[in-house]
Amino acid sequence: MSLRDAAIVGYAETKITVKGPHDGFALAGDVLDSLLRTTGFDKEEIDGMIVSPSISSAKNEFWAQTLAEYLGLQLNFCDKTELGGCSAVASVTRAAAAIDAGLCSTVLLLNSDTPTRQYQYENYGFHEEWSDPYGEMGPPGAFGLLTTRYEHEYGLDYAALGKLAVAQRKHAVLNENACEKLRKPITVEDYLQSRVISEPVRLLDCVMPADGANGLLITSRKVARAKQLDRFVVPVGYGEITNLHGARSICDVTDTGHRIAGERALRQAGLKPKDIGSFQPYDDFIFAILLQLEMLGFCAKGQGSAYVRETNFDFDGDLPLNTGGGQISAGQVGLAGGGTNLVEAVRQLFGDGGPRQVKNTANTLVTGIGWISYSRNWGSSNVLILTPDA
Amino acid sequence: MTTTLINDTLSVQRAPIHPRSFSQAYWDATREKRLLLQRCTRTGQYQFFPRPVSIASGTRDWQWEEVKGHGELFSHTLTHRGTGALRGHEPYLVALVRLDVGVDVVSNLVVTDPTQVKIGLRVKPYWLPLEDGTHLLLFQPDSAA
Repeated sequence: MSLRDAAIVGYAETKITVKGPHDGFALAGDVLDSLLRTTGFDKEEIDGMIVSPSISSAKNEFWAQTLAEYLGLQLNFCDKTELGGCSAVASVTRAAAAIDAGLCSTVLLLNSDTPTRQYQYENYGFHEEWSDPYGEMGPPGAFGLLTTRYEHEYGLDYAALGKLAVAQRKHAVLNENACEKLRKPITVEDYLQSRVISEPVRLLDCVMPADGANGLLITSRKVARAKQLDRFVVPVGYGEITNLHGARSICDVTDTGHRIAGERALRQAGLKPKDIGSFQPYDDFIFAILLQLEMLGFCAKGQGSAYVRETNFDFDGDLPLNTGGGQISAGQVGLAGGGTNLVEAVRQLFGDGGPRQVKNTANTLVTGIGWISYSRNWGSSNVLILTPDA
Repeated sequence: MTTTLINDTLSVQRAPIHPRSFSQAYWDATREKRLLLQRCTRTGQYQFFPRPVSIASGTRDWQWEEVKGHGELFSHTLTHRGTGALRGHEPYLVALVRLDVGVDVVSNLVVTDPTQVKIGLRVKPYWLPLEDGTHLLLFQPDSAA
């Protein structure tokens, strides 16, 4: 079991800002500096690095290598995980695999993006021919189509979606790294009354682009033990799916890769959904949280609204949800955003949650969503289960 | 949610398309308002949008076949913040249409009355002219259905 032999020994995150003075290199430097100080590792011990893609450096095809140069790292293993919002979570398992294969021993997982300072992203795929001519407005348009179809098949309680938005916002207020603009409480009524973007997707369903960086330091459990570290976090279950039903021309659009990825991760971890201590799902849209609750087996398919109504998602509730506010209430730091909820998950298991510390730190479940595919839901889904040193 | 009127978007001039080598035949056929789909010769599965291979088999064993383009409204989203040429023409309807031959197509539905917009609505092609003589595949209610 190579995954369990890995140990996450530190986490770091910058304040999330909009159009701040610092670019992606500067924020990456903050993350490295913080990781070295909090873990006690020397820079020379870091011999691997995996980075997420970055919207602000999308025109730099050598992003990972350039970061290594700017940070003064000599590496035996250097890579970029090209899975959009799944990248940061996926990097944990790629690092574990690389360590297990003997390619390197200690890996910096680095996600840094400043899309509000510099936006370089362009689609090269179906968009130009098959969706742009119709004015489908990217992710909100795709989620509008997905949500309308889901509502037709199962019914959807928008007040339940509002409840999720309110819980996350409450957590952002308690998170000093969350974007200041978003650190104001909202009500279900605020959610329901917020401006419609692409029906039924509202403004408070959506992420706000922001700048920021985050990262983890991961090594082998052997190294962590040899260093007598008193705390670290272990990945115990993982599943990943890209292009679900990719060979089919039509499929159930409300079925996402998290169903299969979640089954794999839970089986590997030896856990059931009811055992999960806190839930840190990728949140590009509020509806994506509800759909993931169904796909991961917290409730039956189509029962998401009822489950949300019955469950307390506050940090001290039944199933603490995105205890840092999630991307929707902390700000989406571009393609580094997959690391926001991941870092919060590790922070909570370290017991560093401060005023929003969850009680149950036996485990946490983190997810990723990456890329919006044509006419369905999303292109990549992943699920990672973490426990404290087990 | 209800809206009083939907923009049918027919007056909006849209940019010509730059086809790829494996979608050129599709766009050429739209000059005559014909809808060509790729069909896998091993499995019989139609596919949309055009790909370099059959997505069913992974091989180049596919051929173009002309279809009528009838189907039903599978989902929809009324867009209030337009993009590209459609900015300023909100609200307009982005539709997901499931054709009877078994493919899903993202498009616009040519309607102005929101009460017509119901999942399951039978639809047929509406060909919107582009400047270069090709046409963009839109859909309209199929009153014969």
